[in-house]
Amino acid sequence: MANKKINKKNIAKLLGDWSKEFELFIPSKDEGIAKFAKWDGKDTSFLDWHRNTIVPPKAIFFPPVEEMFSFQKDKQSYHIELPSSDGQKQLIFGIRPYDANALTILDKTFKDTYEDPYYLPKRKNTVLVGLGCTKPYDSCFCTSLGGSPTDSANVDLMLTDIGDEFLVEGVTDKGRELMSMSSELEEATEADETRAKETKEATYQKVTRQLDTKDIEEKLLSSFEIQDLWEEIAAKCISCGICTLLCPTCYCFDINDELIKDRGTRFRSWDSCSFPVYTKMPMENPRIEKWRRVRNKVCHKYEFYPMNFDVIACTGCGRCVRQCPVNWDITQTLEKMQAKVQSG
Amino acid sequence: MKDRETEQRLRREAKALLEQGKVDYIIGFETGSLKFTTTPLITKDKDSVDRLIINPFIVNNLSEYLTELKGRVGIVAKGCDNRSIVSLIQDNQVKREDVVILGVPCPGIIDLSKVEGLVGKDRDELDDVTRDGDKVVVTVDGEKKEFPASEVLFDNCLGCEFPTPQEYNILLDESSSLVADKTASRKGIETLEGMPQEQRWDFWEKEFSRCIRCYACRSICPACFCERCFVEESEPQWIAPVPRWQDNLIFQVIRNIHVAGRCTDCGECERACPVNIPLRSLTKEMYDLVDDLYHFKAGMDKEAAPLMTHYETTDPEDFIK
Ligand code: SF4
Ligand code: SF4
Ligand code: SF4
Ligand code: SF4
Ligand code: SF4
Repeated sequence: MANKKINKKNIAKLLGDWSKEFELFIPSKDEGIAKFAKWDGKDTSFLDWHRNTIVPPKAIFFPPVEEMFSFQKDKQSYHIELPSSDGQKQLIFGIRPYDANALTILDKTFKDTYEDPYYLPKRKNTVLVGLGCTKPYDSCFCTSLGGSPTDSANVDLMLTDIGDEFLVEGVTDKGRELMSMSSELEEATEADETRAKETKEATYQKVTRQLDTKDIEEKLLSSFEIQDLWEEIAAKCISCGICTLLCPTCYCFDINDELIKDRGTRFRSWDSCSFPVYTKMPMENPRIEKWRRVRNKVCHKYEFYPMNFDVIACTGCGRCVRQCPVNWDITQTLEKMQAKVQSG
Repeated sequence: MKDRETEQRLRREAKALLEQGKVDYIIGFETGSLKFTTTPLITKDKDSVDRLIINPFIVNNLSEYLTELKGRVGIVAKGCDNRSIVSLIQDNQVKREDVVILGVPCPGIIDLSKVEGLVGKDRDELDDVTRDGDKVVVTVDGEKKEFPASEVLFDNCLGCEFPTPQEYNILLDESSSLVADKTASRKGIETLEGMPQEQRWDFWEKEFSRCIRCYACRSICPACFCERCFVEESEPQWIAPVPRWQDNLIFQVIRNIHVAGRCTDCGECERACPVNIPLRSLTKEMYDLVDDLYHFKAGMDKEAAPLMTHYETTDPEDFIK
């Protein structure tokens, strides 16, 4: 199917058409911070704001807290009930390329390693409509990780800002199906295509933060035992959970039961290897010292994940850099590490 | 520029401290990796001290690191940080002789979120933000805009009672000229106090629904120095360690009681919160209550017993019903 376009004035009608079929999420600042929220049927404020959300859309698939099952003691055994799933089809409108890429990265764990029964059904029921960033933050570095602010690789349908309109590209069958669900879309002209191409190139140049990722896996491996390097890197970290909980590719969770008399519920909730109490529940935390925890976070993303899955578990979204209350910066960390390893 | 002079003096003093072996570490600020930001510098290396800076963005309360570092430490401290250090000494967490306090009289720190709100642009889109006496000059797209400092300083800075450190080894400058605005500093609390109880409850439900339990508020707080926090206790379990708003609210209520008489209103918990929960509306209210009821201000006297560890027969009790 050829590319189409939509006038920004008609975007609410387009969303309206889709919302007949899907539960629709948009990037919103309604709840005091930028995050994905259910569409209220009219909000189009995302049109004036093309930047990153604070909470990544992974929260839709892997929420901060989620019921796994409830249980009831029944004489000698337990009766277990799974949470009901309505199989509701979802559409995430305005997901940024690096956050869509993060879902592909998360799939390696939640789909390829084992089949996570909570994440996967939601993932399968969801279509992703991407919207390119036009104003990357100074913390963004997605271009260093093979991405770009307008990359369509991991979405179903991709929108690119071309002024008063968006160019609409169908990427997958699911995405092309979306195009046929609304009469608001018009045929794109050659001039529209050219403008979209220019926008993509121009936005690419706006990402100024750079990270050299060449051989980074091997370099990290050789840095592993250099304790004073990692101590220096970790010094200012305060071991909070911001950089990991808000990282679109982090997936660690904790499990807790809540029991009232004979009934109970099991929850899972976001956890972080930055916390001193991480994995305390089954045993001890093998990483008591802070530098080991910081090293683990960096290595998990840039060494272990590539070793296991052939892909770096970082999309360069920059959240960890921008939200960190002490401005610990993963790009500076990796630069420092590389300099140290190279100098021997 | 005044900051430049203070900065030069700081570098000289810090270098001397390290060279003469008077301290093992220096904790100060250096330029951060994002526009206008500063970041903590913790170093043993006397050449690194040339990276130390003083400017209107040195926001972190560095006393947070004192309980973690072993040895003697030279530390850069603004007024509120200075009181946190004294409070840690009162609580036997830090020994006075182990810290060399490099006091910085503080004119108030610029809250970039307020600047963003006023000019309608994010911080990385601004050309420049500078302090000029009781004004702050923001340059956007080449155009200069002036704001009264009281509109762009952090709320807690506006309410600061002791911007100039009282307990120091070296004071890097003369006393500060902070433009305080007590009313503006309590604005959030006043709004809440004006709400009917039910509406206030709804307000906190909405705010605490966003909490993700990153514990940044606790990790960044110098008064939260417990090695084991009640949050992670499982026998008994005080609150569920999952981010549900009711548990999130109780977490903050208990944390507030634990830091009562220790909290210096440094504002770090609210600033660190990634989801913008107005935590200072709770901590500042507690700070004022402690002052009203017990005439106690945290971190003012290193010899004084911590508020929560002692009592006097004249202590008020009429609020216990
Ligand atoms: S790097 Fe920053 S955000 Fe991450 S744990 Fe450390 S202090 Fe928190
Ligand atoms: S970096 Fe840490 S929190 Fe994130 S997925 Fe890896 S181990 Fe888990
Ligand atoms: S490590 Fe940082 S930059 Fe990379 S994906 Fe996670 S939050 Fe984004
Ligand atoms: S409770 Fe908040 S304002 Fe008070 S000392 Fe701790 S971080 Fe600072
Ligand atoms: S910093 Fe904010 S989000 Fe994190 S635990 Fe504290 S209140 Fe919750």
